[in-house]
Amino acid sequence: MKSKKCIAMLLAGGQGSRLGLLTKVMAKPAVPFGGKYRIIDFPLSNCTNSNIDTVGVLTQYQPLELNSYIGSGQPWDLDLSYGGVYVLPPYMTAKSGEWYSGTANAIYQNIGFIEQYDPEYVLILSGDHIYKMDYNRMLSAHIERGADITIAVRPVPWEVAPSFGIMNTDADHNIIEFEEKPKHPKSNLASMGVYIFTWKILKEYLENDNADPNSKNDFGKNIIPKLLEDKKSMLAYEFADYWKDVGTIASLWEANMDLLEENPEFDLTDPRWKIYSRSPVMPPQFLGAKAVVENSMLTEGCEVYGTARHSVLFEGVIVEEGAVVENSVIMPGTRIKSGAVVNRTIVAENCVINANARVGEAEGDIALIGQATIMPEGYVVKAGEQVDMEAIKREA
Amino acid sequence: MKNDVMGIVYTSKDDLNLRELTSQRAVAAIPVAGRYRLIDFTLSNMVNSGIHNVGIIAQKNYSSLMDHLGSGKDWDLHTRNNGLFILPPFMTRDNSGEYNGLLDALRSNFDYLRRSKQDFVILTDSDYIMTTSFEPMIDQHIKSRADITMMYKKVTPEITEFSSSSKNNHVYMDIDSDNAVTNLEINPNAASFGNLFLSVMMVKRTLLIYLVDQALSRGSHDMYADVLLPAIQAGSLKIMGYEEESYYRRVETIRGYFNLSLDLLKPEVRDALFGKNPVFTKTRDSVPTIYRAGAKVTNSLVADGCVIDGTVENCVLFRGVRVGKGAKLKNCVIMQDSYIEDDVELENVIFDKEVTIRSHGRLIGQSQYPIVIGKNITL
Repeated sequence: MKSKKCIAMLLAGGQGSRLGLLTKVMAKPAVPFGGKYRIIDFPLSNCTNSNIDTVGVLTQYQPLELNSYIGSGQPWDLDLSYGGVYVLPPYMTAKSGEWYSGTANAIYQNIGFIEQYDPEYVLILSGDHIYKMDYNRMLSAHIERGADITIAVRPVPWEVAPSFGIMNTDADHNIIEFEEKPKHPKSNLASMGVYIFTWKILKEYLENDNADPNSKNDFGKNIIPKLLEDKKSMLAYEFADYWKDVGTIASLWEANMDLLEENPEFDLTDPRWKIYSRSPVMPPQFLGAKAVVENSMLTEGCEVYGTARHSVLFEGVIVEEGAVVENSVIMPGTRIKSGAVVNRTIVAENCVINANARVGEAEGDIALIGQATIMPEGYVVKAGEQVDMEAIKREA
Repeated sequence: MKNDVMGIVYTSKDDLNLRELTSQRAVAAIPVAGRYRLIDFTLSNMVNSGIHNVGIIAQKNYSSLMDHLGSGKDWDLHTRNNGLFILPPFMTRDNSGEYNGLLDALRSNFDYLRRSKQDFVILTDSDYIMTTSFEPMIDQHIKSRADITMMYKKVTPEITEFSSSSKNNHVYMDIDSDNAVTNLEINPNAASFGNLFLSVMMVKRTLLIYLVDQALSRGSHDMYADVLLPAIQAGSLKIMGYEEESYYRRVETIRGYFNLSLDLLKPEVRDALFGKNPVFTKTRDSVPTIYRAGAKVTNSLVADGCVIDGTVENCVLFRGVRVGKGAKLKNCVIMQDSYIEDDVELENVIFDKEVTIRSHGRLIGQSQYPIVIGKNITL
């Protein structure tokens, strides 16, 4: 068969522990975002829109939700007979079998998958960010320069730079230094966790890395420093458009709220760069006779009889008459009952917020309600609190 | 057992009473309920009843239907052995390229009927909206050892609000206490039987082929008057009725379409159509709908991809509709990608797809006679 020029490997195994209760039962890439999407829809749609038609999704932590969401890959046009999307969990071989011990190890264990397509280049992605990016332009830059690795970088505000992997570059965008979470950053170019490798080089480094018993088998900690040490050709590819890490409750909430701006910096409606997602098969949204819906985003299956202001409501969310939802993100299948008030909160899937509950506050940190929480009548959740069924039972 | 039934959907009917809505599309392809086409309901009923081999007899204006149905994958009808078959008319020595009624259409597709492996056929029109499962009818048909089972519903004024000029087959059934069909009335001015045939029937595949062949060879062209009625009168076939209680509306006139659309705003109607089984349709990858700061939307059904600044009351908005600032919409059905600019006022209006009305425009129809604006028009 004809070989593929470039295939993508999407690292979706991370636990996303900074998302607290939200990732208790699902991997971070499966977390809902923007009314009808999951975080993984963004890198997958970017692949489809960049004509990269072969994607391996490396899963490990809580893969069930992600597996069933990706399915055959049909929503992203990735259900092909040669290529397409494949979920790649760790597996056993005759002699051994092991979990993915790090990001590089996850790719190492799937060298066999990659070699089926005999690619010239391999794109490494993470499932943690909301952005629209043409990977093809990055690939062109990589090929033009004849680089061994190209790392997508993005300027971040100096004050948050210490929480990123920072790249120091020369005038020709060559990476000369890499610092993981430096206390005193020399540059504000943060790695986006998007790498293009020339496959021959990557394979060599993965094999050497695996042979090194002291390695943590991680791209940031091992592979990239080693490439630097060996003075390989390393290109920084600067990306200036919207890119948001949604690794924390606050940033996930913020990224959802960004969509409600009058002219949002991140525009989901661009017909040339559609974001694809699995359709939930639900009827259109219905707004009742007394509904007040302003400054909000609603999708199929929503029913609002009460009030929703400055909020993002996912499929099948029901806001009963007399309930008020403000500045909140309400994930699929959740019902807000009459008299309940929800403010500055992320409510995960399939919760029931019973009558007269007070969830979140107008000021302060974002509150979080975990999956399938049945909140008792009149229950109060303070700003920044995280509550799930266990917490409620413990209290009762 | 369920896999032993195939479906045939007949999409071709008199459609003059639907005016602009059917000037460029078959009745089955009429957009309905914000994100569907009429045929989605019939197809979903089939799939939800375990029927995986469905032939669509297409006749006039079927390009929009083909575009909508594609490979059938949105209905999970793209399997290896069965799936969705679109059967457009084609010229042969004994077919001029247009079907002369249901019998003729079936005769032209004998190859498909013969090739199919299922024992039974559910034959249905596609000019109605209903969500149901065919499984109870399939069970009754097999248990009662009927030759033909006809689905009916007790007549009420709402379901028989037909146009008098319509030449559609309005068939009423007389039924005895054992559910046997004892008589039919075909297109009566005033029906004396209280059971409306819902244009859904079940029959053994080989019997259907035989009946169609016999009728056409004797020069008959009407399934009801020339095949079923004589068979009932002669007692030559065991024809049973199956009573269906689900919500059912046939779309034959603009007024009927408009009433049905506004009916969808009632919770019990939405529940009857969407609460039982999923209704599948072609996905469009629309973004969620955005309600802006001044938006006032009440008692309305709204699909994804809309951007709403104005006031919307008792309306059905399809995907991608934009309602500008200060615009006021009341009792309207606005189809896909229409653009209502600022300060427009609309009442009792149906917009087909991609209609644009410039700012400060005003269109007020009557609830008994809504204004219809055809596809792709700018006002």
